[in-house]
Amino acid sequence: MKLGRREFLASAGATALTASLAGRSAWAQAKEVEVGLLMPLSGLYARFGASARQGAEMAVDKINKEGGIKALGGAKMKLVVLDCGDTAEKAKSAAQRMVAEYPNMVAVSGSYLSTFTLATSEVTERAHLPMLTLSYSDLITDRGFKYIFQTSATAGSQATQALPTVVKIAKSAGGNPKKVAIITDNTAASVASVKPMREHLLKDVGLELVVDETFTPPLADATPLVQKVRSARPDLLFFLPTVISDAKLVLEKMNEFGMGQGRVPTMAFGIAMFEPDMLKSMSPDLLQGMIGSIGSWGSKGHEAIAAELKAKYNEPWVDQNVISTYADYIVIKEALEKAGKADREAVATALHTMDGGPSKYYPGGEIKFDDKGRRVNAGLTIIQWQSGVPVTIYPDNLAVAKPIWSKK
Amino acid sequence: MRLRTVLPLVMLAAAYAVISLLVTNSYYQLMMTLVLVWASFGLAWNLFSGYTGLISFGHAVFFGLGAYFTALGQIYFDLTPWLLIPVAALVGGAAGLLIGALTFRLRSHYFALAMLAYPLAILNVFMWLGYQELTIPMKHKDAVAYMQFTDGRVYTLLAIVMTLAIVILSQAVERSRFGMALIAIKQNEAAAEAAGINTLAWKLRAITLSGAVTGAIGAFYVMVLLVVTPESVFGMLVSAQALTVTMFGGVGTVWGPLIGAAILIPTGQILQAKLGAQFPGIEGVIYGLAIVIVILAAPEGIFWRVRDKMRKRTGGTALAESGAVSIPAAIEPASTSVPRNDGEIILSVRNLSKSFGGLKAVQNVSFDVQRGSILGIIGPNGAGKTTLFNLLNGFQHPDAGEVLLDGRNVFGESPHRLCAAGVGRTFQVMRPFARLSVADNVVIGAYIRAADDAEARAHAADAIARVGLTGAANRIASELTTKELRLMELARALAGAPRLLLLDETLAGLGANEAAEVVTVLRALAKQGITIVIIEHTMHTMVRLVDRFVVLDHGAVLVEDTPQAITRDNRVIEAYLGTKWSAHA
Repeated sequence: MKLGRREFLASAGATALTASLAGRSAWAQAKEVEVGLLMPLSGLYARFGASARQGAEMAVDKINKEGGIKALGGAKMKLVVLDCGDTAEKAKSAAQRMVAEYPNMVAVSGSYLSTFTLATSEVTERAHLPMLTLSYSDLITDRGFKYIFQTSATAGSQATQALPTVVKIAKSAGGNPKKVAIITDNTAASVASVKPMREHLLKDVGLELVVDETFTPPLADATPLVQKVRSARPDLLFFLPTVISDAKLVLEKMNEFGMGQGRVPTMAFGIAMFEPDMLKSMSPDLLQGMIGSIGSWGSKGHEAIAAELKAKYNEPWVDQNVISTYADYIVIKEALEKAGKADREAVATALHTMDGGPSKYYPGGEIKFDDKGRRVNAGLTIIQWQSGVPVTIYPDNLAVAKPIWSKK
Repeated sequence: MRLRTVLPLVMLAAAYAVISLLVTNSYYQLMMTLVLVWASFGLAWNLFSGYTGLISFGHAVFFGLGAYFTALGQIYFDLTPWLLIPVAALVGGAAGLLIGALTFRLRSHYFALAMLAYPLAILNVFMWLGYQELTIPMKHKDAVAYMQFTDGRVYTLLAIVMTLAIVILSQAVERSRFGMALIAIKQNEAAAEAAGINTLAWKLRAITLSGAVTGAIGAFYVMVLLVVTPESVFGMLVSAQALTVTMFGGVGTVWGPLIGAAILIPTGQILQAKLGAQFPGIEGVIYGLAIVIVILAAPEGIFWRVRDKMRKRTGGTALAESGAVSIPAAIEPASTSVPRNDGEIILSVRNLSKSFGGLKAVQNVSFDVQRGSILGIIGPNGAGKTTLFNLLNGFQHPDAGEVLLDGRNVFGESPHRLCAAGVGRTFQVMRPFARLSVADNVVIGAYIRAADDAEARAHAADAIARVGLTGAANRIASELTTKELRLMELARALAGAPRLLLLDETLAGLGANEAAEVVTVLRALAKQGITIVIIEHTMHTMVRLVDRFVVLDHGAVLVEDTPQAITRDNRVIEAYLGTKWSAHA
């Protein structure tokens, strides 16, 4: 098609007029809406970032296949993936680069580790860019920020929820834990988790601490630790290793002493003990029966996602990072529908005022954020290794399997 | 001169400021700030490690203390960083003084390793205190009063001011007695001590200053990052960052850290930004390889490499011309007979002993030295000459005995105090400050008796003239011949106006003619009233130089006599050549 000079000028004038009248967002609406994923894709935490990326890609695919953002005339979501590296400084730089290079981005999900999220949200807050995070630290939403939204229950909330929940699960499965043991290494995260348990959490639910052992990684021989546990015969063991080889030593020794495979119910902390990589160094038998408490997990109702994850990425199960990040983009989509324009301020307002009803992907609570940006009534998931797969056993409405609990 | 050196820096800073003001992309603004933060950190590290040569792997300890001090001060006391940053400098300085006092008893790699331990230990302390993650409270009101700017360019401008201040401070240090002392320590701590420099005191000053500057930079960094974790301020990589930018750019010069940071920081960022998402971790590989290649090609850093290249192109002719050494005229032939005996004893050694385990290196050595005379101490290898020397000049501590200098007991005093008392020395293995000019080498020895830099320069010029090196005064020590180096060392010892000179194998490695020239210079010095004690392995040239000999064997005095008597003494020949030869002599 050839345009004459007159027609060309006319159309150019018309375009200019439309643009100047409708502003920038009009342009954006006709094209794509940029959403970010700022996760560790290199370094120590790359595995977790990779899972989050899978969740994000699947969610954005689904949204676009189903017609994009309807309130924006079917605009497609465009996922921008950025690596926040493995340190707080790299995360800050990456966030700065993101806000500088993608001025039209309307929301972002990130950045796995609380430390990274604290750093990146300092930047997104100043850029007025809404950020959704699965990180637990209470500090993230204690700073009075207006553009941060915490979808998991905070660490403080999880600590108080987890123990009563585990006792409840035990009772429902016919157990009745009274005496408990702790085996922990002395790394910062483990020490921080154990401290409130020792101080009051155990007492609050009527549990008696009979063995309390701390070791320095790497562990050379787990025999003395495991012998202490055996002679005290606790009803529940809290196990907080950081190094996988230490975990393996203790679990092998417990198995040898006839306490493995859930005969002494064992609860581990942290997502690392429930990653597919665990099966590379440990047999499923060793892990059998181990319980974990986590912010979210693939559960009942997520079967389609699990199937797609398996087909597309060959991942055996849906972990926290996949499902929680997946959910983030569904929430962002809802916020865009509510806002009616591809504008970060409008999306932030929509997130603050949204009332999306019961949560479908995050455990418990609603799709609604309080003043601090915390998801209202966010719950947690209890998972258990059963036949080589960590399955959700709590809450009941999400559980895909019954808990296994040794009745002795 | 001041203006000439400061002006280019100010212009460079102004150019950087103009560029930073034109940058509107907030990410590039952050980069421009970070380049300066790491350049400043490199400069602060250089202020200590670059000049003293004591490699610190632990500067993160000062950085982190400054950072945490500023963060905690804001969180718990709501203080403004405008106040906290200067106080963080005091915190860093105090830490430097304390760490220096504890660690300076260690040397070279032992020191480096000990420094490595401080940040790693304190990192765990902050973990234990529960400060895994701190964030600076956001100020919606009074943002400027709390150094929280929405415009990233303000941080860049602040960083420019900070960097410029540190560069000017570094240059002031470099050009003063402070800097000369540090460079002397780097080139050779023993020589520096012998030249009258109180090395411990200067090193403490250097690490205190460096710690203070580092503390302030750490504090500023927190205001840029807004989040503090022990890893991000005390981590291994933080200390390494200072080393990397400085070693890459050039150690011991203010330009090194500036060049290093300007190249490495943006390169690392660009690699991470462009490749990080596609090939996670590849940026680390490329970055590491680039550093390896540059360090292989330019081991002392880019700055020195470029400077040496430029020197070679322009300075070739100048070197060739100034080779000649003029020997002072009016030298009379060596008198082989009369010792100048005016009876006055300047140095008296009584029953000096030193053992190393079971080995009696020096036992019951006694002798006197008359003012204005030349005493030669000779003996075969392993006779205990060098040990005796080290006892005399304070490098080793005697087990027993007395050393009287002008009747005052100086038994076991430290080298720099002996130097102040009028004892100068040279070394068997020459210890020139290789990168410095002859004049700069010598001036280090002059500070001991000079009130200011100008006076020290005058003393140095005088000393250089006395050994006949005036023509070579502006040459770099590494370009000198062995004989010239010997004379330069002599001048350095002379610059401190010693009454007594201890010379350790000054004639070693010289040809017959060269040795004769040096002997001429020494005799002239003796004539001017300087007492000389010289140890030598060989007797040959010494016979024409000294007034009296002390012959050592197995740590004890074998004979003490005039040269003529010594050469005929059977015991001496036996000690040198064995009994078989003494029969033929």
